Amino acid sequence: MKFVIQRDQLMDSVQNVMKAISSRTTIPILTGLKIEARHDGIKLTGSDSDISIESFIPKEEDGIVYVEQIEPGSIVLQAKYFPDIVRKLPQKTVEIEADDQLKVTIRSGGSEFHLNGQDADEYPQLPELHTEDSFELPTDLLKNLIKQTVFAVSTVETRPILTGVNMKLEDNHLNFIATDSHRLASRRIPLEKQTQHLNFSSVVIPGKSLNELNKILEDKQDSVEISVTENQILFRTKHINFLSRLLDGNYPETSRLIPEQSKTIVYGTTKELLQSIDRASLLAKESRNNVVRLQTKEKDQIEISSNSPEVGNVVEELSAKSIEGEDLKISFSAKYMMDALKAIDNEQVKIEFTGAMRPFIIRPIDNDQILQLILPVRTY
Amino acid sequence: MRTWSEMTTIQPLVSKMLVNSLKKERISHAYLFHGARGTGKHELSILLTKSIFCNNKTDFQPCDNCKECHRIDTGNHPDVHRIVPDGQSIKKEQILHLQKEFTYTGLESNRKVYIITDADKMTSNASNRLLKFLEEPSKLTTAILLTENSQSILQTIRSRCQIMALKPLNPLSIKNKLVEEGLSESNAKLMAALTNNISEAIEISSDEWFANARKIVVQLVEVLQEKPDESLLFINNNWMPHFKERRQLQQGLDLLIIWFRDIIYNYVDNSDSIVFISEQEKIVHSSMNWSREHATKVLSKIMEAKRKLDQNVNPALVMEQLTLQIQR
Amino acid sequence: MSKWYPKKGRVIFHVDMNSFYASVEAAYDPKLKGKPIAVAGNPEERRGIIVTSSYEARAKGVKTTMPLWEARRLCPELIVMRPNFERYRAASKEMFKILSEITPNVQPVSIDEGYMDITECQDLGSPLEIAANIQNRIANELDLPCSIGIAPNKFLAKMASDMKKPMGITVLRKRDLPKKLWPLKVEEMYGVGSKTAEKLNGINVHTIEDLVSTDVYQLKRLLGINGERLKNRAIGIDPSPVDPDAVYDFKSIGSSETLPNDTVEETEIKRLFRNLARNVARRLKRKQAVGRSVQIMIRFHDRRTITRSVKLPNYLEDEDEIFAVSNDLFEQNWNGDPIRLLGITIQDVAEKKEIAHQLDLFTYEQEASKEGLYKAIDKLNEKYGKSTFIKLNSNQEDNQPRTSFQKDFLDDYKK
Repeated sequence: MKFVIQRDQLMDSVQNVMKAISSRTTIPILTGLKIEARHDGIKLTGSDSDISIESFIPKEEDGIVYVEQIEPGSIVLQAKYFPDIVRKLPQKTVEIEADDQLKVTIRSGGSEFHLNGQDADEYPQLPELHTEDSFELPTDLLKNLIKQTVFAVSTVETRPILTGVNMKLEDNHLNFIATDSHRLASRRIPLEKQTQHLNFSSVVIPGKSLNELNKILEDKQDSVEISVTENQILFRTKHINFLSRLLDGNYPETSRLIPEQSKTIVYGTTKELLQSIDRASLLAKESRNNVVRLQTKEKDQIEISSNSPEVGNVVEELSAKSIEGEDLKISFSAKYMMDALKAIDNEQVKIEFTGAMRPFIIRPIDNDQILQLILPVRTY
Repeated sequence: MRTWSEMTTIQPLVSKMLVNSLKKERISHAYLFHGARGTGKHELSILLTKSIFCNNKTDFQPCDNCKECHRIDTGNHPDVHRIVPDGQSIKKEQILHLQKEFTYTGLESNRKVYIITDADKMTSNASNRLLKFLEEPSKLTTAILLTENSQSILQTIRSRCQIMALKPLNPLSIKNKLVEEGLSESNAKLMAALTNNISEAIEISSDEWFANARKIVVQLVEVLQEKPDESLLFINNNWMPHFKERRQLQQGLDLLIIWFRDIIYNYVDNSDSIVFISEQEKIVHSSMNWSREHATKVLSKIMEAKRKLDQNVNPALVMEQLTLQIQR
Repeated sequence: MSKWYPKKGRVIFHVDMNSFYASVEAAYDPKLKGKPIAVAGNPEERRGIIVTSSYEARAKGVKTTMPLWEARRLCPELIVMRPNFERYRAASKEMFKILSEITPNVQPVSIDEGYMDITECQDLGSPLEIAANIQNRIANELDLPCSIGIAPNKFLAKMASDMKKPMGITVLRKRDLPKKLWPLKVEEMYGVGSKTAEKLNGINVHTIEDLVSTDVYQLKRLLGINGERLKNRAIGIDPSPVDPDAVYDFKSIGSSETLPNDTVEETEIKRLFRNLARNVARRLKRKQAVGRSVQIMIRFHDRRTITRSVKLPNYLEDEDEIFAVSNDLFEQNWNGDPIRLLGITIQDVAEKKEIAHQLDLFTYEQEASKEGLYKAIDKLNEKYGKSTFIKLNSNQEDNQPRTSFQKDFLDDYKK
């Protein structure tokens, strides 16, 4: 294997794949970074086995040549040293060469590094993306789907499947659902193209992987191609492939747990509510549960209050747009409420209650795509 | 790596069962391999794992040359998880790692193998979780639990595993293996008489302490024959200082047993069974000193001495008494 | 060995760190050793006051609460430092950890002192051996000096630890009182502040001996119930127990027990855990409390002691849950060595009415079915004026004033 590459392009790529590499892996080869020279360019791969990132540097793009003198081949290099070496090389171009003995030479200007590589055959084989069973989403929409749901995944391992986001295909709609069993967040979007050709209907993606993906996706990128294999999900952007293992098992059916009728409906301004809860939680945070209480009052007023025995209490009234149905007094986690309100992509919000002991639903006033559900808190 | 046919010579029954399940594509979700050190638990688990993953098999025999086989050897196969206890117990991080793996799909496919060495060191909690997970039949997962001591594995866990009892090796095949490993014929024969554990045998045979122990045993016999009056002195000055620990003393007595058994073999003209082949002349000489009947008695006295040692009787006392009994 | 332990009665330690803050500073920076140091609220300001000082500074007349300028006048070479509370907390935590490895019966009183009840610690040696061992460990591992008082009750232990500083170990038995305690001035007695001392001096009580010979009724008239208590203490009576829970406002509740024989028998271990869980659950219930962290203590046959804890996502209160969690912790952490003692402590304890119960998506239906009942209770509460949002006063058992800093540190020393 041999090639000559622009250092800046190589550095960008190295930084991308390094995001997947962890020194705490149990699989020795994964402490390394895989370099594959192909006729059309250079592919770098990093993985911690949960997520894998492939970054591709084309030989040539928009008339600019990035890679030259390619002799195909592949090698695995210690990720501990390689990024620093590349960063500190003296010249704009770098020559990387590996011989049959897995000895790697990195040359740039007058400096020459010799590293021991590892056999690329030892590296995990990642699935290839097949365009025929994939679908596309605009990057910003995918990022929204993630942001509006992933915060609700469980962080405890008692029900491991809940640490992931359930991605479901149903009636040409794509559904993201996450719940930690105390609250649930979901977002549903119509898909433009037919989805019958897709080979999956429901998978569970680890929340951690989606958070990483969200960090890597840049807003400017046009679209992401998504495909699912039996054990991995792949997100492909122009030059980066992001792969994640899936959570194994059946995601609980949650739709029947979502109340269909409501007894009290509060319409309000998202921002006002959010700020009010935020203020109330200033004190609630000090106590154990971060619990605030919401009470409906006459003349479309709602009272938000919290009490922390050791600190003090706060009571605040705000006007709702309107309140329909029964009077209500309910306590809930301020944090869950704030998370939910932040995920509502609209100035106006509709909150539907079915009693102090049942889940309530928060939605934007004019669309059903976003649904946030919160289980209340019972005070003893 | 050993092949199935090689393993069949060492562990015929278990190898046959495993090959059969490979043939029928009926690999269990959980195996428990139990047997003494050196009986091939680890080799079998690796061979089985390769047979599961190798795409290049001929008659269930993995090629040992493909990417899958290589990576199983180097520990780089991402879907083969090995847990080896760190000292006394399996560490918390190892269990956490296992539990996380249970909830994730595989990296390359959904075929996964877990090999857990010294599974008896896993807490019952951890092993219960392991097996609960394995019971979900949809999973393409196999766990191989290895232990020297199946009794210390909970019954609930044993009942969920297919149990493979690895037989202790027979002395002749051990001897042959030791010769293969480069031991001299006579040394191999002696080691095979002492232990059925290949790795232990190799260890002992290169141990200086053991070489001296062997010498002292032969000397003791000579003293008993030639200068019986000095035998107690010899015990005090030469024997006791060398066999300081009970474990060592037991080994000394084992050697003595072999010696007297050889005398009896000499009487019945079964010279093939004689272990101390390099000392054959001395065995013949000894036979003139101890009658067959007497040698048999001596054997039972040595056994008795060994029991006393186990019961914590003062070692010097046991040895003195034994020497007097051997002299008759 | 048991001849050192009374057949009836108790053996109580009072462990008192010597000029704690200054000593911690000297442990951090050995160059400070042997020099007069003082920790002051604000060294830059002239009005700052001395919080504590080393013995070298004390020898020059520097005293706690003395204004800084005065201290500097008495001792011009005085090294003045700002307090590093993080360091003190860390050192204190380590110190209490050492104490709690001897017995779970440790009652921290403040950041630098605590009581221990070692009545049940025969197998660790004589009281003097245990004390020397504690003192050595604190000196070797933390590089800090302490004084230890050994006595049949808390009051005498406290007085005893004061008698020899630094690095003293003082035994104060009842029969020593006339010689060792009674000659002291009454204001040196623990529990006698300057106001009480003034009052006592007013009726001509100047020494503890005077106090002993004064009529109880006269003392009661003068000082109320405290008068009787002081006299009792002076003659060596102080029944107050070493209560590990007292100082926490019951933020932790624990129970431990020694096995009849060192054991590796799982059934026996489980039986003991079951008992401990039952005991702890009963005490939680009595206090109407729930807890969120479970800590277990394992002491091995060779007295090596480990504690392991886990914080749970939800509060727990009943025996089965406590047993299950403790047992889990045990299995994860036991190396198979023979066990002498086991303990369970529930930490992060809160009163039930203070906490709220988060409903669960998959189980809320069960609780929601009881909504009518809760509504009724709520109505009653409203009618009778008791709101669930008002916390009832918990009975403050301990009468020692404490700074909030001390309090939260005490809450976490065991973690």
